[in-house]
Amino acid sequence: MWREWSEIDRMFRAMDLLNTRMNRLYSDTEGYRISSFPSGMTQAGPRTNLYDSGDHLLITAEVPGIAKEDLNIRLQGNYLEISGARKPDNPEGYSRHRMERAATSFSRSFTLPSEVDSSKVEASLKDGILTLTLPKVEAAKPKQITIN
Amino acid sequence: MSDAKDVAVRQEAMVERKSRVQTMTPYVDIFENEDEILLFTDMPGVAKKDVVINIDNGKLTLSGLREITQRGAATWEEFGDVEYQRTFSVPQTIDIDKVNAELKEGVLRLHLPKSAAAKPRQISVKEA
Repeated sequence: MWREWSEIDRMFRAMDLLNTRMNRLYSDTEGYRISSFPSGMTQAGPRTNLYDSGDHLLITAEVPGIAKEDLNIRLQGNYLEISGARKPDNPEGYSRHRMERAATSFSRSFTLPSEVDSSKVEASLKDGILTLTLPKVEAAKPKQITIN
Repeated sequence: MSDAKDVAVRQEAMVERKSRVQTMTPYVDIFENEDEILLFTDMPGVAKKDVVINIDNGKLTLSGLREITQRGAATWEEFGDVEYQRTFSVPQTIDIDKVNAELKEGVLRLHLPKSAAAKPRQISVKEA
């Protein structure tokens, strides 16, 4: 019986050792990530952020090299769709050495976490980042409640 | 347990850590014609003042820093602060003084003109 227990104990010890080694392995590579889509234009569309600042929502998207005219933003209720296309910008008369920035088209849609006032939505494009400011409807805005 | 602990102990060498900004490799397109080499690279969200282009000893280093000014609580966040960084070897034939770059819609366009000596030349045959 005693022998069996020591066997189990040894097994656990070995597992602990493995565990700490694995942890160390991961912590060494912390902060280093390999991104398969470095520029942000993934097959699924551009990467986006959504911020909620209480009375409005803010959506930002990475759209490098896409002109204002090539972006389409549609809003229906709290359903938002951003679509666009990047035209190839191959210069004339040049030979190609490397082509990593593909011409793509994308469409990405979101269900917004709250109702927004579609008439007051603002969109801007700066340095390849699309910013959408979507004011919430009155009913969805946070309200201060005072304690009686 | 006790010997497992020994393995886990890490001597934290206090290496100077400049920042925790993630480094990314931007996508590039490289073109060439008789006059120049043209390099396009995606750097969304990088302002003109945060782009650093360095050519030294045949190495071209591109760097662009993006800082997101967050407004409000993030419901989701797929991109953040990043440093785009990439290094290339440039041939000796590039006229470094004439290298110029423009940044538009998050795309950096870098022109690397070839020096006059490196351009192809037609040699006409004289009559003897």
